[in-house]
Amino acid sequence: MDRREFLQCAAVLAAGTSVLPSSWAMNHEQQAFLAAQPDYIDRYPLSFFTDLQRAAVTTVAEQIIPATDTPGAIAAGAPRFIELMVANWFNDVERTLFMDGLADLQHRADGDFAGLPVDQQLLMLEQLEEEAGDAAWFQLGNVTRLWDDTAPFICQVKELTVLGFMLSDVGSSQFLRVNPMGSFEGDIPLSSDDSSYAVELPIRAIAGGEV
Amino acid sequence: MDNKQFDAIVVGSGISGGWAAKELTERGLKVLVLERGKDIKHGADYKGEHATASKLPFYGMPDRERNAREYPVQSSSYAFSEANVQFWNNDKENPYIRTEDKPFSWKRADVVGGRSLLWGRQVYRWSEQDFKANAADGNGIPWPVDYKDIAPWYSHVEKFIGVSGEAEGLPQLPDSEFLPPMEYFEVENTIKGRVKKKLPDITVTMGRCAILTQEHKGRAPCHYCGPCHRGCSTGSYFSSQSSTLPAATATGNLTLLPNQVVERLEHDETGKRITAVKVVDTQTGERREFTAKIFFLCASTLGSAQIMLNSSSSLHPNGLGNKSGALGRYLMDHAKLGHMSMVVDDTDRFYRGNRPNGLYIPRFRNVGGQDADADFVRGYGYQAMAMRPDWETTFNTKGFGADYKESLRKPGPFWIWFLQGFIECLPQASNRIYLDANKPDRFGVPQLVTEFSWSDNELSLAKDSAVQAEKIFRAAGAVFYETADIDTLSEGGASIHEMGTARMGDDPMQSVLNKYNQAHEVDNLFVTDGSFMTSASCVNPSLTYMAFTARACDYAVKQLNAGRLGA
Repeated sequence: MDRREFLQCAAVLAAGTSVLPSSWAMNHEQQAFLAAQPDYIDRYPLSFFTDLQRAAVTTVAEQIIPATDTPGAIAAGAPRFIELMVANWFNDVERTLFMDGLADLQHRADGDFAGLPVDQQLLMLEQLEEEAGDAAWFQLGNVTRLWDDTAPFICQVKELTVLGFMLSDVGSSQFLRVNPMGSFEGDIPLSSDDSSYAVELPIRAIAGGEV
Repeated sequence: MDNKQFDAIVVGSGISGGWAAKELTERGLKVLVLERGKDIKHGADYKGEHATASKLPFYGMPDRERNAREYPVQSSSYAFSEANVQFWNNDKENPYIRTEDKPFSWKRADVVGGRSLLWGRQVYRWSEQDFKANAADGNGIPWPVDYKDIAPWYSHVEKFIGVSGEAEGLPQLPDSEFLPPMEYFEVENTIKGRVKKKLPDITVTMGRCAILTQEHKGRAPCHYCGPCHRGCSTGSYFSSQSSTLPAATATGNLTLLPNQVVERLEHDETGKRITAVKVVDTQTGERREFTAKIFFLCASTLGSAQIMLNSSSSLHPNGLGNKSGALGRYLMDHAKLGHMSMVVDDTDRFYRGNRPNGLYIPRFRNVGGQDADADFVRGYGYQAMAMRPDWETTFNTKGFGADYKESLRKPGPFWIWFLQGFIECLPQASNRIYLDANKPDRFGVPQLVTEFSWSDNELSLAKDSAVQAEKIFRAAGAVFYETADIDTLSEGGASIHEMGTARMGDDPMQSVLNKYNQAHEVDNLFVTDGSFMTSASCVNPSLTYMAFTARACDYAVKQLNAGRLGA
């Protein structure tokens, strides 16, 4: 292991470690592999949306999860996640729903949602959510399915924004917090302002088809 | 290689094969382990270990298109994810045949170490009642082994693998050799205290698991990263990779060949002695033969039966050692049914670290005799998980901006407490596997056909698991609960506790193996994976496979040394 790899490993460990048992010897090859892996959103160029579409989606994402005293959707790379998922993960039905919905949004905004004043953007999104009010997507408990392929555009983009934010490096460490490994304590206080722990895998992926 | 003389050949390097390799090499035998899966290196090849979601393809959302094409069976497992897909069987390359109205889900690994890398790590001893169950209620055939025969071998195995848990002194769930138990969440302590007070016959205990809570035989204690089935480079949970294969290697007597699919076994002119094993190399397609004095099949419940069925000959027309007709039959699994509750206590308490273990409620129905109100035989236990819900269950609401964002930030104001019943399954001849000679796989080996359905007894047990779960939730102080209907009962195989198919018994006309896992009709053949199981109990079975494997190895070597195995 050379110095650069060592530093990468140290960074990985520092991000997720509290007290290490003295005998804890992780595999260096495995650590180096992990440290050298870019995040999913940084692994591929973006080429699915047009510039105007990308600007619209980016604006919607930041309206859903804005920067506050913590980073927002843009800082967490959520728009990149949305574009990659729409291009490569959605099936044809879902992709068509999304692209038709995006086209409708742009149409309502005279072709450039991102160019609207911020308060008009918000009104337009609230209007879309109002129109989607009967969607099954909003039902309590409709959350552990892998994907709701009937979800209208406004619900799709919200869900992708949330996933792209919460599962990102930025969202999981600066909005949520990393559950440190090293030891286990079953009873510590939870203060009223403590964030949830970041998840290492979305629960819907664990649930699979069978729980 | 081909000319080298091996004393023993072990087929499979999973939880049973690893134990066979260890026990046989430590007794001085030169052992060849044949593994159909790819070679992987402990630690270095655990590519998903400690990967955050941000590192995984699609942030860990399952690759639906690829899974449907290549992993339609495997991908339904809770343990399958983008972080460990390399461990699993590719269903397209290595298929089997499901029967639509009798579906069976065959979960398989495809690497050195097998499912010992992927297992749930829960370990529970069988009880005296479990071994007597068939004889007592007339289902299946009597076990040829009693608890006292296997108890020393449970200890032998537990001392090596390391089992954390709490001693409870229960007759229906004998204690293991324990390392200290993992810590409870405070809400679990609250629940346990209430259940103890209101339902004194029901025990709530920490899950007994092959995960270390202190250093053990050179392996580090758990570092509580959480998802064990991605592989553990510190060897803190037991696997062949972390424990038995290194022990076997240390003897200098082990040769392990990956990428070797065993096609069939060949016997001598008497039909009572195996002479060779025929293999196909999955990378080159090359066919070879290896010889030895004794043979251990540890290729998994379905895998070992497949090899024996495919080893038919004029002397064994219905499959090797299958005069009884039991080979491939009496396939069992545990039926699973999940029940959910909400508890609002201890919401200001939390935890640090990711405990890869839950609580366990041992069987309490029909213990020591038939319960008056039970319209079923046998019983079930529950695995219990407490979870604090978060944004993943609340994101589908209306709103935008800072308020919506803040609504996703904190843990929800309650705990979910989930009880999953693991239900004993009776042995039935109609639950079976057989070969379809018209559908060979890519190596020309006939594919397995599976047929499986639950019996009325399992359905009654499942219904009772809902009735009793409601009582437990009420005693626990749940503010809301929902017990499951039996239409959500798991598919056969989904618990990954498949067993049977080459059951043991005293009567050679009703069983394939004798009480030492030795084929009744073939002196130097031993089968020690889940296929030997004569009944299923309701507890997780891997510990029992390990104990019987170690015992069979001890017996086999003594027989070999006494010149009684025809070698």
